[in-house]
Amino acid sequence: MKFTFMCKEPPSIVPGRGRYKIAIVGGGPAGLSAAGYLACRGYEVHVYDKQPLPGGLMLFAIPEERIPPENILEGIEELRDKFNVEFITKTKVFGDSKPREDEGDKLVERIVSLKDLVDKYDAVLITTGTWRSRRLHCPGEEGPGVMSALEFLYELRIYNKGYIPHKPHIGNRVVVIGGGLSAVDAAMEALNQGAKEVIMAYRRTIKQAPAGVYEIRKLINRGVKWMELVSPTRIIRENNRVKGIELQKMKLGEPDESGRPRPIPIPGSEFILDADTIIEAIGEIATPPFENEYLGVKADRRGRIQVDERFRTGNPKIWAAGDVVTGPSLIGSAVKQGLYAAKSIHLELTSKKLV
Amino acid sequence: MASQSDPITFLRYIDLDRCMGCGTCESVCDFIHDGKPFIKIYETSIGVKIPLSCMHCSKAPCIEVCPTGAMRRDESGAVYVDPMKCIGCMACLYACPFGVPELDPDLRVSTKCDLCMDLRRQGLEPACYAMCPARAIIYGEPRKVSDEIRHRRAEQLVRARLEGMITLG
Ligand SMILES: Cc1cc2nc3c(=O)[nH]c(=O)nc-3n(C[C@H](O)[C@H](O)[C@H](O)COP(=O)(O)OP(=O)(O)OC[C@H]3O[C@@H](n4cnc5c(N)ncnc54)[C@H](O)[C@@H]3O)c2cc1C
Repeated sequence: MKFTFMCKEPPSIVPGRGRYKIAIVGGGPAGLSAAGYLACRGYEVHVYDKQPLPGGLMLFAIPEERIPPENILEGIEELRDKFNVEFITKTKVFGDSKPREDEGDKLVERIVSLKDLVDKYDAVLITTGTWRSRRLHCPGEEGPGVMSALEFLYELRIYNKGYIPHKPHIGNRVVVIGGGLSAVDAAMEALNQGAKEVIMAYRRTIKQAPAGVYEIRKLINRGVKWMELVSPTRIIRENNRVKGIELQKMKLGEPDESGRPRPIPIPGSEFILDADTIIEAIGEIATPPFENEYLGVKADRRGRIQVDERFRTGNPKIWAAGDVVTGPSLIGSAVKQGLYAAKSIHLELTSKKLV
Repeated sequence: MASQSDPITFLRYIDLDRCMGCGTCESVCDFIHDGKPFIKIYETSIGVKIPLSCMHCSKAPCIEVCPTGAMRRDESGAVYVDPMKCIGCMACLYACPFGVPELDPDLRVSTKCDLCMDLRRQGLEPACYAMCPARAIIYGEPRKVSDEIRHRRAEQLVRARLEGMITLG
């Protein structure tokens, strides 16, 4: 990805502008697109990321067969080598309290306070994405053999890159809960990792599945079993090891606030499915680098940072964009937000200079 | 400006086997055209999302039917609208098999993808091609594009053959 698609070279010294320093927190598609725009405008850009490499979910979750890693890495190298964007990796940024534990924190070596960045830079853009998974909160969930799709995919990637010595353990009979892109990817990878049987369990029907009928059919062709109109009620353990999962049958009701028919549980329809591994892929939640509210920046109940139409937060030096603003979306949406937020920062800083 | 018979030096091809419908092409196109993207994602009935944009046809019917000569081809082969000559009759839209030309209601002219003429003049690439995360957009000299496509298909054939052998064996 050529994040600097708008210019060939960094501008040769633009008087005054080079002095502005901008920190970007989170180097996923939103942060990197913003970095490209701002580097083309001649700003000094520093990208902070908790991973050993920027790239976000494109490098650390989405399977390589969909996104060739070299395509992302080449874009990052160009930002670094040709446009002097500095990457501060393995560094988690958080408000000045004890940082919340998110997923993908395994390789973090340093914590930097968000307040320090706001003091040190002329503008800060937050693009930290959605690095927490929604959990089922059902009995039996705690303990080995149950993980989130993000946790599973992330650990597989960092194992393959040589950052950790052990692969995430995947058993013989895997049940993946969910019908979105993460569920599809987790099911695929479980199969690739040698699971004998992979079952996808979704509470609506294939028609409503966010991953789309086509993606799911493709998985079925590859040997994944599809089970619809079911929802988990508890995970069954024996000597702490997962033995199975109890599912309840559902029927479709009137459309809910998402516009899709609401799944309604059918009482007494519970049944048990044998399984030794459960992967929960029921959605991710935004992970702002603070809790609730910090320095005038507010997050809603689902962690999403509140911004105006120009991506400004309640703090005049802080902007936010990407999935940390929208909740889980697609790369295209994150790229778009990153670009427009960067432009907003540029407009703000240029108008400041004129005064 | 080039005529319909001049050689085409650039071709853009969207590899639908690679495209994941993420919308990055539409986003960057939207950004550089102030909110009016010329490549857009459409979701089909089976949930597959694909981008649609001008094919920059080698024998472009829109150029043939344009009554004022506003629809033209540039020196690299990209089909574009000269807004000074366009009268907004949209004959080009009637002629286009893909429904590509669209009326700009403010400017009252037909608008469409020009393969990022402004960027190309600066020696840059079309934005959708430059930014596609999946490398689903192939762009360049037609023969190179064909070679790249066939190279990808060769990979797929070999993989299919090997997978077949592994499952059989
Ligand atoms: C399994 C899976 C499959 C997907 N498949 C697709 C697909 O096929 N197509 C598609 O379009 N989209 C897909 N998506 C969605 C897509 O990945 C996201 O919409 C997109 O990556 C969001 O971009 P972002 O830049 O906002 O956040 P991210 O990509 O999440 O990047 C955020 C970055 O911030 C860093 N970070 C987080 N917190 C901190 C902190 N406190 N301090 C420092 N750094 C921090 C992270 O390390 C990360 O690098 C998928 C998502 C998942 C989980």
